[in-house]
Amino acid sequence: MSAINRDTAVAVFLLLFCGVFYAASFQIEQTSYGTIGADVWPRLVLGVLFVLSTVYLFQSVRMGPDEAVKQKGFLVRYRNAILCYGLFLVFLLTLDFLGMLLGGVLFVFMALSVLGERTPRQLAIHAGVAVVSVGAMWSIFTFALRVILPEGEVLSIW
Amino acid sequence: MLIENIIGAFGEVVQVKIMLLMALGVLSGLVAGAIPGFTITMAVVLTLPFTFGLSTIEGLATMIGVFVGGLSGGLMSGILTGIPGTPSSVATTFDGFPMARKGRPGLALGIGVWSSFMGGIFSAILLMTLAPQLARIGLEFGPWDYFSLVLFALTITASLAGENLTKGLIAGALGLLVATIGEDDINGVARFNFGTDALKQGFAFLPVLVGLFAFSQLMSDVQDSATARKPLMEKGAKAVRVEHLAAIKALAGDWVNLIRSSLIGVFTGILPAAGGSISNILAYDQAKKASKRPQEYGTGCPGGIIASESANNATAGGALITMMALGIPGDVVTAVMLGALLIHDVVPSPSFIGEQPVLAYSIFLAFFLSNFLMLGTQAIALRAFLLVTRIPMYMLAGVILAYCAIGVFALHNVTFDIWTLFWFGMIGYVMRQLGFPLAPMILGVVLGGIAEVNLSRAVAISGDLTLFVTRPWSLFFLIIAIFSIVFPWYQKHRGRKQWTLGFLPALCLALAPPLFMMGGVTRPIVGGLLVAVGAWLLVSRHRQGWKLTAPVEHAARLEET
Repeated sequence: MSAINRDTAVAVFLLLFCGVFYAASFQIEQTSYGTIGADVWPRLVLGVLFVLSTVYLFQSVRMGPDEAVKQKGFLVRYRNAILCYGLFLVFLLTLDFLGMLLGGVLFVFMALSVLGERTPRQLAIHAGVAVVSVGAMWSIFTFALRVILPEGEVLSIW
Repeated sequence: MLIENIIGAFGEVVQVKIMLLMALGVLSGLVAGAIPGFTITMAVVLTLPFTFGLSTIEGLATMIGVFVGGLSGGLMSGILTGIPGTPSSVATTFDGFPMARKGRPGLALGIGVWSSFMGGIFSAILLMTLAPQLARIGLEFGPWDYFSLVLFALTITASLAGENLTKGLIAGALGLLVATIGEDDINGVARFNFGTDALKQGFAFLPVLVGLFAFSQLMSDVQDSATARKPLMEKGAKAVRVEHLAAIKALAGDWVNLIRSSLIGVFTGILPAAGGSISNILAYDQAKKASKRPQEYGTGCPGGIIASESANNATAGGALITMMALGIPGDVVTAVMLGALLIHDVVPSPSFIGEQPVLAYSIFLAFFLSNFLMLGTQAIALRAFLLVTRIPMYMLAGVILAYCAIGVFALHNVTFDIWTLFWFGMIGYVMRQLGFPLAPMILGVVLGGIAEVNLSRAVAISGDLTLFVTRPWSLFFLIIAIFSIVFPWYQKHRGRKQWTLGFLPALCLALAPPLFMMGGVTRPIVGGLLVAVGAWLLVSRHRQGWKLTAPVEHAARLEET
């Protein structure tokens, strides 16, 4: 059994979050114009958030501890989401190099292969879906909507 | 004046390109709304990037098409498989699915489609007539009243959005805080940028919204590998022929239910935060109570489908009334619609309809015409829906994630927006997992700027803070805000604790004083009526010895529509 429940941990995090933002509110520039300073409204919101987080903390403490969650169970449960966010992060970090078209195709292919089955047939389907879907979207935005999507270094060399 | 504006709007909207775009929007909405797990919000959000390159009217007409289509799409899966496509169609399944199982799926679909159409048309007419009137009332609002209205919109969303009011309110406050990041609208000073240049401009609304709703929803949908790899719907739905004539006859025989449910839908929509997920249940309950044969409800009764479907489509018109007249979104879908309007440089406010009547009425007309297009494209949508449901969820999720990235980039052509999508996708996912409702957060992000600007204006005009409780409209909104905070406890204990018997009379009596303070003739009369209703409720409950009655079967709760 864990000593505190999940809600208590979240409430404590929110209180710390309020503290960080409250401290950051002192960095907001004070102006000689304007009826209320730029820091007043954020502090008001932070005050409300602090009070609510405190209420949430007391509510969570009254509920008692959670049943222990096995680490393996946690990883299995959130595996797909973690992998997708990871792939999206890689897509973002390589966007300047690969560009939206190539990066998008690779991202969709990888995401589908991580989430779906990885038999040769399925991998071929995933590749086809990735090329067709991202190719179509890229074409619509580039040629029909005239949006200049990141080209990337790889395709610009070609 | 009304006719002139409609004729002016007619020339703008009734063009081949716009009608085609609207038809495409309606079709997309119908299919998206029919897929369980795909919300109308997601459909509208995903359509938005496609409209950047279109003119204002073209873009808005397309979005409205998606909105109307989405509201009607949920009935297809609800009737054919028993799984509602959206929370707006939950009550449709109570009678639609049993009727389909009894061998009349064509009739059930027909009643659903025609009820949706009639509810939509009814609310479109009210939208055209009521929105200008509400805008006129809105012109009376000062900054104190607007600030209190925003407060009310946030508290009622928080109270309706989840099981835990505190979490709802925290989500709303977090939304307000997100809106403060970046340059403030009043003094032009950067806030909470933590030394980074990228954060000086703050977060764009669309990437925040797509991240919070679409990205996090997709991650939740693919959380379980086994489920994600299965086709979207395993229960085989077969194409059926819609029985239009029999459906029209059924509607004609139950027109009182149709009008009552449409009215419930419109007025639920007008109320900030309450959307189709609430109105369909409320209308269903009222239809059942009013029916001479309530025992037939739940067994395939046409009245149940009529109530639910007419109400949820009518809600859209109601929500648009509030948004167009006051600039306050009625629910999350209209919050997205408001974002779409702002992207197309349209800023709804009480003066908007008067200043730009052609554009305002073009939006109204697009809503009106979308209902006809919905009727015409339902058969095609049904076939498309049956095809889409064969695709596994993970394939759709992977493709849509890439589309989200391209779509949000297209907004300002900056990679920072994709980073915003990523961060808010994670925040949204974590919040979903921790049981925080996202609707209040979205409204907080949308309304945060409005609240701050009005607070600043109020203080600039007068340092007297008592004006927030002495001005009638402000007091009115603050009173209902307080009651909306108590509402979750009322809903939880209704029929079990005696104090709940005093909730409605207290609400009526509390709302009367600000109405008396407003002066004139009509509002004091309404105030007097509220006092009479409150007193009558108190007296009748006292006569019954404060006897508790069983709560209704289906509790209304705001869900992401």
